[in-house]
Amino acid sequence: MEAERSAYRYDMVNVRPGYIVVEHEVQSKAMRAYFSPDPVAPIEEYREGNRTWKHTATAQSIRFSIRDARTGEVASFDELLGLAFYGSCPKGSEVWEIGDLAQEHKVSIYVAVTGEAADGTRGGLAVEKLRVLNRYFNERLRDREKKILILPDRFGLYREFSHGHIMVDLGLTAMD
Amino acid sequence: MTIKDLAEKLHLKTLNSVADRPVTGVYISDMVSDVIANAKPGNVLVTVQVHNNVIAAANLVDVSGIILTRGRKPADDMVALAEKAGIPVLLTDLNSWQVASMLFEAGLR
Repeated sequence: MEAERSAYRYDMVNVRPGYIVVEHEVQSKAMRAYFSPDPVAPIEEYREGNRTWKHTATAQSIRFSIRDARTGEVASFDELLGLAFYGSCPKGSEVWEIGDLAQEHKVSIYVAVTGEAADGTRGGLAVEKLRVLNRYFNERLRDREKKILILPDRFGLYREFSHGHIMVDLGLTAMD
Repeated sequence: MTIKDLAEKLHLKTLNSVADRPVTGVYISDMVSDVIANAKPGNVLVTVQVHNNVIAAANLVDVSGIILTRGRKPADDMVALAEKAGIPVLLTDLNSWQVASMLFEAGLR
């Protein structure tokens, strides 16, 4: 059967369900988050050198790639933990203030929050990938005046991860 | 059919401005990641979730409106956020299955 032809230049492909696992280090209280594609979210405590990591929270989420139909290129977004909408951030925070100003002009601000690499370093989303992500969502908007603007995480939002500002399914059963 | 037509036809309670936005289909989900990956622009989103992130996801994929089922009442800040984003929020005491059946009967697929 022939695959359905998309009306758009960009399409979301290779969508994989999984979990964002948030954990903390027992001594230093450092926190980090990563994506797990396992069928069951890992919650076991483990040692890494002289550091011990314990489970803090789990959220259901997805991993995906975006394919450019014009070039055939597929960009993977494995480093993306989630998107944070300005309106889900605390009122008075930098993101909220910028977002609230922009929303008056029908520009919706989101922040792309990335996770840590295996070596503990944190790289943002490459500008070219941000461009692709912005194009993907904007080309689907039906209101020509409306815009989605996804920014790099220059706000340190990854630290707020376990507070539910990021669009993942944290506390799904709590419904609060 | 527009979201305004739907609100009238299904006797939904409106919590903010309801524009004449065309409805292209229906998506039912309580997971924001699922909405981001699978809802289509113009869909009406049927959910029990009242977290602000539902507005975030609905706005990102440009749904025509949100129907909150089973009498779930959102906080005032969620409604204010939806208003700013131009997303109508509608309420019903019916459950998602009953709403889905009525949307189907109304001709939406």
